[in-house]
Amino acid sequence: MQSIITIELGTNAVRVFAFDLDGKVIGSLKAYCPTFHPGPERSEQDPEQIFITMLYVLKNLLNEKIHPKKIKVASICFSSSMHSVLTVDKSGNPLGNAVIWADNRALKEARALKKSVVGEQIYHATGTPLHPMSPLAKIAWIKNNDSNRFHETAKFLSIKSYIIQQLTGECLIDYSLASATGLLNIHTIQWEAQALEFAGITPEMLPELTPVFASAGTLKKAYQISLGLSADTKIIVGSSDGCMAILGDGVKGEGRATITIEDSGAVRVMGGKVLRDERRRFFNYLLTENCYVSGGPTNNGGVIFEWFAGQFGDIKNPFDTDQSMQGLIDEASRVPTGADGLLFLPYLLGERAPVWNANARGAYFGLNIKHERKHFIRATIEGILYEIYSIGKILEEHRNIESLSINGSFGTIPFCTQIIADMFNKPVRLRPDFHSVSFGTFLLSATEMGIYASIDDAAATVELPDQYRPREQHYNVYADYFKVFEKLTASLADEFEAIAQLQHQYVTT
Amino acid sequence: MNQFILQQGISEELRFFPHIIEMGLKKNISIQLGSFPLTSTSGIRIFYITEGKFEWCINRQRYTLYPGDVTVILPGYCFGSEDGVLEIGAFSWIHLDMQKLDKGKIVPGKWSGLSENERVVVGNILDMNTSPVLLRFSEAGRILKNIQTELYSQEIGYHATVNYLVDMLLIQITRHLTRQNNPGRDFPKTFMNLEQALRQNLSHQWTVEEMAALVGLGTTLFNEKVKNYSGFSPINYLINIRISEAIKLLKRPGISLTDIALETGFYSSQHFSTTFKKLTGYTPSDFRKNNLKEN
Repeated sequence: MQSIITIELGTNAVRVFAFDLDGKVIGSLKAYCPTFHPGPERSEQDPEQIFITMLYVLKNLLNEKIHPKKIKVASICFSSSMHSVLTVDKSGNPLGNAVIWADNRALKEARALKKSVVGEQIYHATGTPLHPMSPLAKIAWIKNNDSNRFHETAKFLSIKSYIIQQLTGECLIDYSLASATGLLNIHTIQWEAQALEFAGITPEMLPELTPVFASAGTLKKAYQISLGLSADTKIIVGSSDGCMAILGDGVKGEGRATITIEDSGAVRVMGGKVLRDERRRFFNYLLTENCYVSGGPTNNGGVIFEWFAGQFGDIKNPFDTDQSMQGLIDEASRVPTGADGLLFLPYLLGERAPVWNANARGAYFGLNIKHERKHFIRATIEGILYEIYSIGKILEEHRNIESLSINGSFGTIPFCTQIIADMFNKPVRLRPDFHSVSFGTFLLSATEMGIYASIDDAAATVELPDQYRPREQHYNVYADYFKVFEKLTASLADEFEAIAQLQHQYVTT
Repeated sequence: MNQFILQQGISEELRFFPHIIEMGLKKNISIQLGSFPLTSTSGIRIFYITEGKFEWCINRQRYTLYPGDVTVILPGYCFGSEDGVLEIGAFSWIHLDMQKLDKGKIVPGKWSGLSENERVVVGNILDMNTSPVLLRFSEAGRILKNIQTELYSQEIGYHATVNYLVDMLLIQITRHLTRQNNPGRDFPKTFMNLEQALRQNLSHQWTVEEMAALVGLGTTLFNEKVKNYSGFSPINYLINIRISEAIKLLKRPGISLTDIALETGFYSSQHFSTTFKKLTGYTPSDFRKNNLKEN
């Protein structure tokens, strides 16, 4: 028997899955990796800690589920979160921690670029929104604010490139992950000269570009021995978590979109063409040549509900947040659709799509004397999901969406999935207890092995058995309230700016 | 309650309690100039506010204390009122002599009924704490009052009872401290605090009891929570941090393997070597050689 191992280098966790060649899960393990916030607007991860965590999880999974049954590992394929930057010196050793997507230090660089003509050209060429998340802005920030580090840096890597280099010695980045750096021209699949110039770097300072199916070389001898893997185990570069989440749900071509809601969230479509949006609200990332994953990300997903539960939930036993969140959802389900007119703007972490405003803030609106605690609970959940709907709505200006699939821990809570179906007025499919990113990575790897003829064929085999149907009368209520939600967000632009300034001025962290 | 003060070497009541340097209750009815200057001592001082409002300076930071608050002044900390003024109000206090270990560590002395391990944990938690003020902690006031009553009444068994009450005071302070820092709502945040404490003091020989006490949980629940949240047992999580840090040091030439081992908390270079090899497949010296050779 053979297996395919997938490794997801996510923001909060390293997840390792073992699949058989039919795509059935043999086993999985995950372990946590911390994000450090050593200063305001800073979010960093320790590349060595990610590497050691990955080794630990991989080794345990192999020893528990694979080696005892004498299963042969055919390939190991990677996915990772997007937008990380790790600077390494000429010996390949990290200079400090990796800067991850949530780091907002490069706000000034991103804003300056966004206002410029060259910025507009770079956005349309690279598909990556001009935002501090983008490695383009991050590298420019290092150049402008940390010149020592900038000059000592021989290469700017992604976390995944570094991890693979530790395992095999090859320094690579796949088109897919590279297309989220803001440095890759997604039409020509070459590094984009204007972007490199803005960042102040040359192509030699970046990892070598490869397709997602490319082999990343052979495991170093010591890892072959410590992991118990043979030299012919294929190491495949793989893709990004965003692209894998949509592939794992089998979404391809017209008519379908995928919603992912974990701590943060995104709405995505996949197709053969770039979505050209003059208001520059979308990302367009490459999966493979001529296959684009387009959509919009939100900062304010499940993390906002966790914040709410942490502040206002009943905690019966120390740290029992799961039970507390379940209690809140039970209470929310007893409140009518629309929370009796209480609205919540969920922008506690600023917002990306569709408003792209780091200074957006949260608000409860429409309070009257009859509102109770339970209304706040329902309004909070609905607010997070209106925001998801607002991304879907602008995608519909470009694509016809007939049905949805959903994944991620917050989005797949049945209460939330039903609200999504009602808000969008479209059927929503999912597979419960299913990990779409890992399954997408399996499909990629299986396609590389020839099990599927193409990515399209692989996607076509995915089945999502559970279906939530939209309920028209609920849709009507949400549609009415959404008009106010949308208008409120737009009309508060000045006040968001003002309050954010005051918070910067008066609040010391 | 009336004002009182008991002092070691002067007050007969403290004869059997050499670890209690001083204890008292002060009611201040008018502002006193120059009566509360900045001082530092080699013992630990605990103040409980019953009335009024005090602006005190603790280790160069200013704090305002209200009734019900407690402040714990560690050995060597500079403490008092910046201008020496004692404001109107009332407070009780106790000044305890602690046993000193190497590296300036403090633990409750032999009089304590705590196990040796627990004494170390209590000392460490007091030592690692960064906020010297404990809010709304009237339990401390009750214990202080009981100690005073026992000392004055000298009923049968008072010797054991006083020592027990001083232990209780230190235990309650330790527990209150960890709960105040980790209110039991947000495990990710609590785990982050733990990670920070581990990294700041990586060469320390951490025990699970100590880590659990630091986040205010019993060891059984702590083990379960950490395993669920992180995928690691607490000790494996710690080893994971140690090896990550060791890798960084191995990539820098000029630090000996023994120094790396001790700095990252392994008790010997042998222990470092076996643990490192088990996970990575390399011995530390091979890892270093390979890394240099490749580049």
